[in-house]
Amino acid sequence: MKTKMITLCVNGKDHRFEAPVNRTLLQALRDDLRLTETKYGCGTGECGGCTVLVDGKDSICSCLTLAVEAEGRHITTVGGMTRNGELHPIQVAFIEEGAIQCGYCTPGMIMKTASILANNPTPSEEEIRTGLEGNICRCTGYEKIVQAVQRASQMLDTSQNQKTGGLGT
Amino acid sequence: MSSRILPQFALLTPQSISEAVDMLAQYQGQVSVLAGGTDLLVWNYIRKVKPTYVLRLSALDDLDYMNYIPGEGLRIGARAKVAQLLEQPEVAGKFPALYESALTFATPQIRNMATVMGNVLRASPAGDCSCAILALGGQVVLQGPDGQRLVDIDDFWISYGVTARKNDELAVELRIPEPTSITRSAFYRLTRVHEDLAKLNVAVRFEMCQNGCRSARISMGCVGPTPLRLKQTEKLLEGVPVTDELLQQVAAAARKEIAPIADQRSTEEYRRQVSGVILTRVIERAAGTHRIAI
Repeated sequence: MKTKMITLCVNGKDHRFEAPVNRTLLQALRDDLRLTETKYGCGTGECGGCTVLVDGKDSICSCLTLAVEAEGRHITTVGGMTRNGELHPIQVAFIEEGAIQCGYCTPGMIMKTASILANNPTPSEEEIRTGLEGNICRCTGYEKIVQAVQRASQMLDTSQNQKTGGLGT
Repeated sequence: MSSRILPQFALLTPQSISEAVDMLAQYQGQVSVLAGGTDLLVWNYIRKVKPTYVLRLSALDDLDYMNYIPGEGLRIGARAKVAQLLEQPEVAGKFPALYESALTFATPQIRNMATVMGNVLRASPAGDCSCAILALGGQVVLQGPDGQRLVDIDDFWISYGVTARKNDELAVELRIPEPTSITRSAFYRLTRVHEDLAKLNVAVRFEMCQNGCRSARISMGCVGPTPLRLKQTEKLLEGVPVTDELLQQVAAAARKEIAPIADQRSTEEYRRQVSGVILTRVIERAAGTHRIAI
């Protein structure tokens, strides 16, 4: 077994462990670090269930990233969105809009939303729909997901005016 | 069939381009180069490839660039992501075909991971950036043990999945020539949803003049083993005004020049039918105000 000692920074915390070099970031998160909120869907980069945030801004598929390649980057999963036990406004928006049915796509959808809003805090509906490409909801609850992103955008806009908030890194 | 577990391999992490080339020469034929990983990891999952070594470019930060050099054109390093095409203002302004290919390229996640070079090296007939680059013209810079060589994009794809890159060469840069003030280009991808591969894609580059088109390059994807230049069809456009009648001739010529297959995304007949339609639309868009209506 070819292994390597790696350090992954996940949700602001460094984890040092020995991982096989063929370990994907998704496997490392779920199996090594037991952070099971990030989901395995297709394993080929098409469904978006495994979406995580890199350096607070870019969405990537953790199923197509080797764990060793994530060294030195800040990875955020949906588990890192909460602050002091309080849900992030994006999470609140998804709940309030009822944008969750079976919930399997939700961690990926929330990380994608974080990426959309980090790059463009006030996206149009079309920009939201384009941005959500690559995240599939098999319950097909897209309307409410789009509404949740719009609501999250408004909520973050308001909270930005009150204090400097921002997305977790 | 896809497995959740990647096959085992040893990891090579060269610290310089020359070290990477040395490693490629040393382990010739047993190495897969990893940049974005969006093709390579999928191929490993389905055991289409089982490399003994994976050579990753992660330490070669100096290949991250996407530089526009006035008078020379666009230089794209081997690690530059497709998403970078959307961030660089000169790409949208001077290389619209390439910009448009990145706009519809897969999904945001894949655009953040996949490299432009990887799309070219994949040598897929459906590659969107590849289609645009073939129309724009350009060169691939290959670094081997004996130095660099430049391969014209027209000569780069040999057959499906096969390129002119030798086993001991590292593809380090793409060069796309500077457009002139009369250059126009456009790209269109026919697809069901963006997540899917293209059913068909088309890119054109023209040098426009008062009487129409001085020279033309047309490329079409998903209609042959590699992205195709439609050289017979291009000739019809040169030196004559772009009229409705000409566009009909162009559409008919394109249908004859391509060699599509039927697969899960489209039938051969459908691809042949839409090729002419899509091509004329892309020509009209690229030609813009230069179009002469009769």
